[in-house]
Amino acid sequence: MKNFEYFEPTTLAEASLLFTQEHAQLLAGGTDLVIGMKAYTETPQSVISLQNIPGLTGITADTDNGITIGAMTKVREVELSEDILKHHTALAEGASEIGSIQIRNLATIGGNIAHASPAADTVAGLLVADAQVDIASADGERTVSINELFTGPGQTVLKPGEIITQFRLPSPASGSHYIKHKIREVMDLAFIGVASAVNLQNSVIKEARIGLAAVAPTPIRATEAENLLKGKISTPELLQQAGEAAAAGTSPISDLRCSAEHRREMVDVLTRRTLQIAIDRA
Amino acid sequence: MSEYTVVGQKLPRVDAVEKVTGAAQYGADVHPAGMLYGKIVRSKHAHANILSIDTSEAEKLPGVRAIITQDDVPSGRRVFATDKVLYLGEPLAAVAATDPDIAEEAAELIKIEYEVLPVVQDVMEAIKSSAPRLHSDETKEGPNRRDISAKIKELSRDEADGNSTAIRKLEAELENYADEVYYNISAESHTEAGDVEKGFAESDIVVEDTYVIPRVHQTYMEPHVSVASADSSGKITVWASTQGPFAIRSGIAGTLGIPLTQINVIGTTMGGGFGGRFGVIITHVPAVLLSQKAGRPVRVQMTREEEFLDGRPAPGCVIKLKTGATKDGHILARQALAFWDSGSVSGASIGSTIRVRGVYKIPNIKIDAYGVHTNKSGTAAYRAPGAPQAIFAGESQLDDIAEQIGMDPVKFRLMNMREEGDTVPAGGSEPEVGYKETLEAVADAAGWWNREADKNQGWGVAVGDWTNGCGPGGVYVSVHEDGSARIFHGSMDITGTDTAITQIIAEILTIPYKNVTIRRGDTDSAPYSTGSGGSVVTFTMGNTAKLAAEDARRRILELAAERLNTNVDDLELRDGAVHIITVDPPKSISLGELAAYSLSTTGGPIVGKGSFARQPSTPALAAQIAKVEVDPDTGRTRVLKLVASQDVGFAINPMAVEGQIEGGTVQGYAWAMMEEMQYGENGNVNPGFVDYRVPTSADLPTVESVIVEVPAPNGPYGAKGVGEPPITPTLATMANAVNDAIGVRITELPIKPEKVVDALKNNGHGA
Repeated sequence: MKNFEYFEPTTLAEASLLFTQEHAQLLAGGTDLVIGMKAYTETPQSVISLQNIPGLTGITADTDNGITIGAMTKVREVELSEDILKHHTALAEGASEIGSIQIRNLATIGGNIAHASPAADTVAGLLVADAQVDIASADGERTVSINELFTGPGQTVLKPGEIITQFRLPSPASGSHYIKHKIREVMDLAFIGVASAVNLQNSVIKEARIGLAAVAPTPIRATEAENLLKGKISTPELLQQAGEAAAAGTSPISDLRCSAEHRREMVDVLTRRTLQIAIDRA
Repeated sequence: MSEYTVVGQKLPRVDAVEKVTGAAQYGADVHPAGMLYGKIVRSKHAHANILSIDTSEAEKLPGVRAIITQDDVPSGRRVFATDKVLYLGEPLAAVAATDPDIAEEAAELIKIEYEVLPVVQDVMEAIKSSAPRLHSDETKEGPNRRDISAKIKELSRDEADGNSTAIRKLEAELENYADEVYYNISAESHTEAGDVEKGFAESDIVVEDTYVIPRVHQTYMEPHVSVASADSSGKITVWASTQGPFAIRSGIAGTLGIPLTQINVIGTTMGGGFGGRFGVIITHVPAVLLSQKAGRPVRVQMTREEEFLDGRPAPGCVIKLKTGATKDGHILARQALAFWDSGSVSGASIGSTIRVRGVYKIPNIKIDAYGVHTNKSGTAAYRAPGAPQAIFAGESQLDDIAEQIGMDPVKFRLMNMREEGDTVPAGGSEPEVGYKETLEAVADAAGWWNREADKNQGWGVAVGDWTNGCGPGGVYVSVHEDGSARIFHGSMDITGTDTAITQIIAEILTIPYKNVTIRRGDTDSAPYSTGSGGSVVTFTMGNTAKLAAEDARRRILELAAERLNTNVDDLELRDGAVHIITVDPPKSISLGELAAYSLSTTGGPIVGKGSFARQPSTPALAAQIAKVEVDPDTGRTRVLKLVASQDVGFAINPMAVEGQIEGGTVQGYAWAMMEEMQYGENGNVNPGFVDYRVPTSADLPTVESVIVEVPAPNGPYGAKGVGEPPITPTLATMANAVNDAIGVRITELPIKPEKVVDALKNNGHGA
């Protein structure tokens, strides 16, 4: 590991100022950063730990604002939270797919998202929760929708000095589900990830949200498929149409893990499956 | 009931506590005073001419104590590339510095100018006349080189079926190669018995396929590491993580032209080997050269990425196989043409292609195998080197024949299996073997005969054979005044071998297992020992230990006869004491008393010596059955049941033997389902555990081990080598189970979800 300066600021303003420096990196759980530093693939000149800044951890639920998850909340906590399991099952399931329990005890949801991997396991669940991302910097605060956060692999709309502080999930779903396509049962990266969330009224799909990971340069919503489902009663044919529509809306790449064609086909299969389970749960 | 009290028992391993508590000393724990950190500078290209290597900037960096290139190798033996690099990650230079970060930075400061050359990484491309040639001096024509075209033609098939697009393309290409002149051939091997053409002509059914098996890494937990220290007198000490300290000693001596006994190799506790930990130049030689130049001890330790780029993994291969059988199930002929991916140097286990003959009575066989150079690192042994690849082809094809003739796969195998006295195709006749017993045992244990399968579930069976190696070894055993015994030897413990040696000696000396301890010496102090690979250790060192214990026993009885004024014939060694059996009441003297007495005798202390080199080994069979469920939409396969039987001759420690069976089976499963070194335009693209997948315990149910014991005449207590056989059948077991579940014959490993989905789209027949 190359030498670096290490900071433990106690306020967001201080952290933000430090983070505007060149070659500065934020340290949340460290499960990506520290490994990269040990392998010399990450060589920050300064590392800014967020652990001493109050108010960045924990999950709160209230009737007006729904659920709020602090950016420094451990992924393991997201996985096990009763509130998230109940209202945003797909997000808890996504969290449970990250690394091992040891990793999940260190990794944070903010880190998982800010790293901006298109294959991040919590991202599809946040997409179908319509998460609002609160961002702070020395210049003030702003909020972006999770849907607008990513601009490319490893790229976000975050400007120098901006730090994700929390995720707000105002729109619970009565049923949701996440499936990760992978080879190994645990501790694998997503070949693709699909989350579906629905709200039903008398068996009619009032609202459907579908989040897709690792099928485009950024995580995406399958809006065409969502629109197709809205106001209809679920049938195998409908779900098949939704799967096909979701697949058609992707632009996956071929890489060493699998072909673009396989990714597209799996979007179709897993959209149908996650929708069916989300509807069963609703 | 066993007549033995210590051997044959599930006793805890002698190294269990030190391993569990972290007290065991691995290579990375060695830290002599003043130690420097070495770093190897590696090629950034898979094939390139080296125009220049400039170390001047790196030399100026404070903290750098030595930089070496091939110019520093006095013998001229190739340690670093000079004119040309042949694979991504090939060593070009090495640095030693006072800190690992400085070493890293110095390595980056070494400027290398490359002239990039075209790369070839596929064996079927590499043999073409148009392919880039790795070794420009390759002019020699092998005796059968020009016959490759003819051999391809012999094996040409009439109809395409049961194969993926990639395989079909390969089939077509193989035929198009017809009139090529072949290059990049590193070695060849040819075997023939009977007349295959006649055999095929007499067959009712002939099945052909091309099997593609990927290169896989041994993925031992501990990366290569060595610490070398050259003192002012020229004496060299090397702490080496290796399977064979004596082989490393002679390897260093030979490579650097240093007298053999000027080098002392201290084997450190090994974090796995599987055949991949015998390499001399990977870290040991660079560490010695750096230490000689810097005048300080130097550690060279590979990262996991370096392991993938510059380890010596198992070779991948392409095997075209053809089998003929009668419709009542007799196999008449089998022919194979194999191209093994040897990487930049020769050394792939091409001779193992013979394993396609299996354990069956096949009167006519013909095998042609070639090693092929590609722009990859060289290869080494991996648990039964070459056998899993060849057996994958052989056992997959057997199931296809069984299916075509409508015969149960287990019955089909039993019907064709060899027994004692049967002719081994191109290899003499069988000694006493337990092939049928082992297959029947796994079938019974797995519930094969009443097997049930829901939709998309299936059962697969396969067998694999292997014969353990043998080699020289020496053991001393001393009996102390407290009645305990201490063993001294020079072989590296490999998953329980020290435990087996200890059990054997405790058994013969009739003292409690816990009162026998074992100590490994370095090459300066211990008697010579063969390397711990090839399933040799329990066979060789077990026999050696037995001789040493029997030698000690002779001295014990001699001392007791002297002490008790009687004849040796009247004495019995039992429960740690010598008893006169001819008197009433019986008289006895303990081993401790005898050891104390021995110190004041003319003959001296009780020291038993055992020295052994070889005895014929006996083949062992591993038979496995898997039940799987395949998700036809996602292509994912889940193992529901995995049962593994193995003829181990005699299980000296059944717990350790079960561990070997489970470990080998899981490694075979991994090779079948997920492991694969992948290559892009410039070398290995998955040099890490993110995209090189090894299974976790969540991927498999508990492997059910079934121990079969058909004694080996020359093994200690009848023991056969157990380490290697269990990996041999699993690749085919898995492929056969997937085929049974969804009717898809996958001939190109690993059986990744995408391949299954694509194959299903093509009517259950390949994609």
